Amino acid sequence: MKSPEGERIMLRFKTLAYLLIVFSMLLTGCKTATAVPPTATKPPAPTAVPPTDVPLPKTGLACTPNCKYSDLVVGFLQTGSEGGWRAANTASFKETAEQLGLTLKFYDSQNDLAKQVAGFHQFIQDPEVNVIVLAALETTGWEDVLKEAQEAGKIVILEDRRIDAPEDLYVTYIGSDFAEEGRKAAVEMCKLLEGSEKKVVWELVGNVGSSAAKDRGQGFREKMGECGITIAKSQTGNWSITEGKQVTEAWLKETQDVQGIFAQNDEMGLGAIEAIKEAGLKPGEDVKVLSFDATAGAFKAMLAGELSVTVECNPLLAPQVYEAALKAANGGELPKWVPSQEGVFSADDPNLQQIADGRKY
Amino acid sequence: MKQTKFSPSLRKITESKLFFPTLTLALILLFDLITVPNFFSIQIRNGNLYGSLIDIFRNASAVMLLSIGMTLVIATGGVDLSVGAVMAIAASVAALLMNPYVLATELPPHLMKLINDPQFTYQPLWIVIIVTLIVATICGLWNGLLVAYVRIQPMVATLILMIAGRGIAQLITNGVRIQIFYEPYAFIGQGWKILPFSLYLVAFVFVIAWIITRRTAIGLFIESVGINFRSSYFSGIDEKKIKLLAYSFCGLCAGIAGLVASSNIKTSDAYNIGMTLELDAILAVVIGGTVMGIGGRFSLLASLIGAVVIQAITTSMYAIGVQAFALQAIKGLVVIFVILLYSEQVRGFIRKLTVQKEAKP
Repeated sequence: MKSPEGERIMLRFKTLAYLLIVFSMLLTGCKTATAVPPTATKPPAPTAVPPTDVPLPKTGLACTPNCKYSDLVVGFLQTGSEGGWRAANTASFKETAEQLGLTLKFYDSQNDLAKQVAGFHQFIQDPEVNVIVLAALETTGWEDVLKEAQEAGKIVILEDRRIDAPEDLYVTYIGSDFAEEGRKAAVEMCKLLEGSEKKVVWELVGNVGSSAAKDRGQGFREKMGECGITIAKSQTGNWSITEGKQVTEAWLKETQDVQGIFAQNDEMGLGAIEAIKEAGLKPGEDVKVLSFDATAGAFKAMLAGELSVTVECNPLLAPQVYEAALKAANGGELPKWVPSQEGVFSADDPNLQQIADGRKY
Repeated sequence: MKQTKFSPSLRKITESKLFFPTLTLALILLFDLITVPNFFSIQIRNGNLYGSLIDIFRNASAVMLLSIGMTLVIATGGVDLSVGAVMAIAASVAALLMNPYVLATELPPHLMKLINDPQFTYQPLWIVIIVTLIVATICGLWNGLLVAYVRIQPMVATLILMIAGRGIAQLITNGVRIQIFYEPYAFIGQGWKILPFSLYLVAFVFVIAWIITRRTAIGLFIESVGINFRSSYFSGIDEKKIKLLAYSFCGLCAGIAGLVASSNIKTSDAYNIGMTLELDAILAVVIGGTVMGIGGRFSLLASLIGAVVIQAITTSMYAIGVQAFALQAIKGLVVIFVILLYSEQVRGFIRKLTVQKEAKP
């Protein structure tokens, strides 16, 4: 669907960008290798701390093991801005940092991997930063940068997005278990369709290949058989309202034999609701719409009775992340994955208005 | 010349700019007729027409609007890559004018109530629309200045706004995605009067553009500037002003498209609105037979059909149920097929065919 000319230009820009990354990596790689001999300045450290079975990343903090939040300087590499969830995630990091009195250096990667890698290097070389928090744009290719960070004595914590890298290169991953969310969703859908004779569900998939889309779909499929739900149609809506609406619209022209819609985020769910209304059906009654993320828009739709259930994907991860960072700074041990705390919200909850008012995002 | 004598009618049809886009559209619809049941059924709901065909036209309306402006720009030998970003700017400006309170962090309760009020708007609708369109036209004017007066290559000049524009759009709304509750605004993209309201908008803009280009000499000037701007200059055409006009008009069209897109989903989604639509618009113009890079002869109607062809491909894919991961690749295949139809070989073949048929009797 792209013009060959435009695409060629984009391609050229991309190659240029990649060349730049490689070049900057070479440069910075050389610099750190010559300027900072890896931890050679601290030979007595291993004798002071008895060696544990799990090789902890060396923290290199002066305050260990009595660090306070005020000693931490956190460099946070956000992916960019996508929507409500991401905005809430960013706000959580900024607000919690103020509350706890730690210093936050925020870096917006603008959904550009080249910028994110550059930002990572910036934090590695910044002598003030001792904790790097990464919401990675890509799952692979982080080994070298992570090793560099380790050599520079930075604590690396992954949030929200998991990456494919050896576990000893980062302290911990804090984020959602998308498969579990999918399973929860299937259980909720079963409840919604309890009285219904037929249980035909349509699926609106997120960006094809993203871990959230893959695992939510898989989790849902694991549990949906238990009450006889079948997925009749499945198509990507690329996380967007527009496409979620278009896809549902096209399907509804073909058949209106559908009882539930399983939208992998709130936006696509809201798009589906618009399409259902236009088709002359009642969302929430004729068709139950279930979505993920529990954003403000979803709460408004639930209060209007149009959205049935939203499964939370908690963006307020900062308290957990900072706690983990402090623990790591003080030499504590952490599991490699700390699941975030999440809930399920339903339109027939009598306290819905209160919950909606009390929520930050 | 002898051949044309024998075959005036059929030859005229196949040589027309409208022939190939229409043929392509017919082929796609024929395919739908065979594979998708009920694809052509059109019902009347609440006095409005309702069906897949209507959906195709309605969802194509944003690209149709873009393609009208893009046709003029491409006819002058240029291209405008920034239309998607201008759409986002327009959506942000409109959303902000209707509800600036959304950006405030703390609000007194009497203002807080206004945020969700479907009857509340900060500025009356006509001011919202006019200011938005003025902003969009200024964006186009900026492109035109860079291309015509600063003499930057069109692709580079408009690339600036393509990249910066989306950032500007996010700045305008402070990075927040504003939900639009004002009901009358939703009519632009969602309203119906027998046909979707957005289609009347397209028709209106088309007629205006047609009158300007075909009932005055401006159309001729645009074509001559595209074919050879130097000789047009020497024959007394102010090619700079013509280019300025074409780019400004393109910006205006993008502004209207931005209004349609944002009111269709009732949000100012600065990050997603109009994403990659500039490429769709260019493709629509190319399918319409206006030659990229060279410019010259153009047909507005053919570009409109081109836009419908693109949306017809997408909607057909949804209706047939193409797997999510195969969607892009199959779209690509269809586009290649369409572009191949335009090759000299196929054209020559069709020319031969029509000549022989007509020559026989």
